[in-house]
Amino acid sequence: MAKNTSKGKLIPKGALLRAALIWETWVQTCYNYERMMGMACAHTFLPVVKYLYPDNKEKQVDLMTREMEFFNVHPEFGSCILGLAVSLEEEKAMGKDIPNEFITNIKTSLMGPLAGIGDTIWQGVLIPILLALCIDITLSGGGNIWGAIVYAVLMLLITYIFSCANFMFGYHAGSDAIMDFLEKGIINKLLKGASIMGCMVMGGLIVNYVKVKCGLTIDTSGTTFSLQESLFDAVLPNILPLGLTMGVYGLMQKKWTSVKIILLMVIIGVVGGIFNILV
Amino acid sequence: MSIMQAIICGVIYWLAEANLPFVGLWTLQRPLVCGFLTGCVLGDPVSGAVIGGTINLVYLGFISAGGSMPADMALAGVLGVSYAIVGGLDANTALAIAVPLGLLGTIVWYLRMTIDSVFVHMGDKWVAQGKFKKLYLSNVILPQIFSAVICVIPCFLAAYFGADYIQSFIDLCAGKPLQIFQIIGGMMPALGIAITLQYIFKGEARIFLFLGFMIATCFGLTLVQQGIIGLIAALIYIQVTDNNKTTGIPAASSQAAVGAVAKDYDPDED
Repeated sequence: MAKNTSKGKLIPKGALLRAALIWETWVQTCYNYERMMGMACAHTFLPVVKYLYPDNKEKQVDLMTREMEFFNVHPEFGSCILGLAVSLEEEKAMGKDIPNEFITNIKTSLMGPLAGIGDTIWQGVLIPILLALCIDITLSGGGNIWGAIVYAVLMLLITYIFSCANFMFGYHAGSDAIMDFLEKGIINKLLKGASIMGCMVMGGLIVNYVKVKCGLTIDTSGTTFSLQESLFDAVLPNILPLGLTMGVYGLMQKKWTSVKIILLMVIIGVVGGIFNILV
Repeated sequence: MSIMQAIICGVIYWLAEANLPFVGLWTLQRPLVCGFLTGCVLGDPVSGAVIGGTINLVYLGFISAGGSMPADMALAGVLGVSYAIVGGLDANTALAIAVPLGLLGTIVWYLRMTIDSVFVHMGDKWVAQGKFKKLYLSNVILPQIFSAVICVIPCFLAAYFGADYIQSFIDLCAGKPLQIFQIIGGMMPALGIAITLQYIFKGEARIFLFLGFMIATCFGLTLVQQGIIGLIAALIYIQVTDNNKTTGIPAASSQAAVGAVAKDYDPDED
């Protein structure tokens, strides 16, 4: 769609960038159950709406009203939808016959898959890996502040650059390109690579930060036999932290909530501590 | 802790919780970052970062999707670090105290998500009247004032009065109870790792968890070194398997979604 119309006729580049920045900055300042990010959508159109209908207030109101509708997506991955919506509204303003429902439909139908992919990649892969590395930097060598600073600066840069680039991608490339991107499997390859790296990092994290030690001892003819030192450490150190992590993973697969798991850990800790099973 | 310090702790919590993306959401909300800032306020940035980082291990892969909030990691970070610095707790004890506080904090999130709907209706009215500039008021300023009220006040009270009691509480717990706190705090990071594994411990990537575990057990590398090895392993693996047509994790959902889009998509529009 929209390959035969020349772009950028109505909206100057500066206003477009301002729209992208508004989206990224204020997207969740009024996050609510009724419309989720709906008002942020309308807010995004604030710098561009006056270029679309310079002297037709009624059409401006129409546009803003339909952008106020329910919308919820992952802020960074979903910003291409906003870029796409701006470009569709621009074509409409330039006289092309695009029904209002078409714009709303394409927004709502894209937000599901992009939210799914975005939340998984962003909060399930990117943030955990980056956080794990930066926490390790912070805790290494008796502690320092660099991990916290590196994480905050990197994350801010990634967030803003990715979101604005994605917004412009949606604006220039149109819905075909977004669909292509979702279909082609680049994301899958990326996700698989990131999963491999993430698994390696999590393996290291288990060893370094999950602490479970068995305090049981067995007395046999005068010599004390510590299960931890003589059995676990001799066969495979850190087998207990690995076992605990896999156990928690198994419970989560069985739909246990994190609250329940925290309670279970408290019970295990109290019982284990009182009877010296855990130290 | 002075009153001023406690108020600033409350402000940090507000900025972290209220989803101002340029300071909050993906950065300040993480206990590693808000703990570090709390440490700065209380005069011990290094302890703040270390304790915040340890608390953050529990929340590694916490996902807030569709407006849900499984636990309030920002409150856990700010209060955990301030109690730890004032009461002289070690990181694992602070962790065991902070995580239950984080569960309480979700009340603030759900309250905010509910009440913010009021401002949407103001926005509706102003948009209908053509006063678009007022969206700054309804989308940013008013909801943020409301967020400030419900974030700063409880966090200030908890930081100020909690810190007074934390020392005597810890004295009371000396011995066995404190050891139990440390045991629980030592186990908690398994939760953060397990949650992250829900998203990445899939298909062919599974075996690499055990490879990473063995490398760390045998060689004791830093996590950054291990991450670089992981990146290289990922690249090698993808190069080797590239010829085979691969299907990854979200393939099914994105295919289905594309199908849904295609229905609404009218080729005549071109």
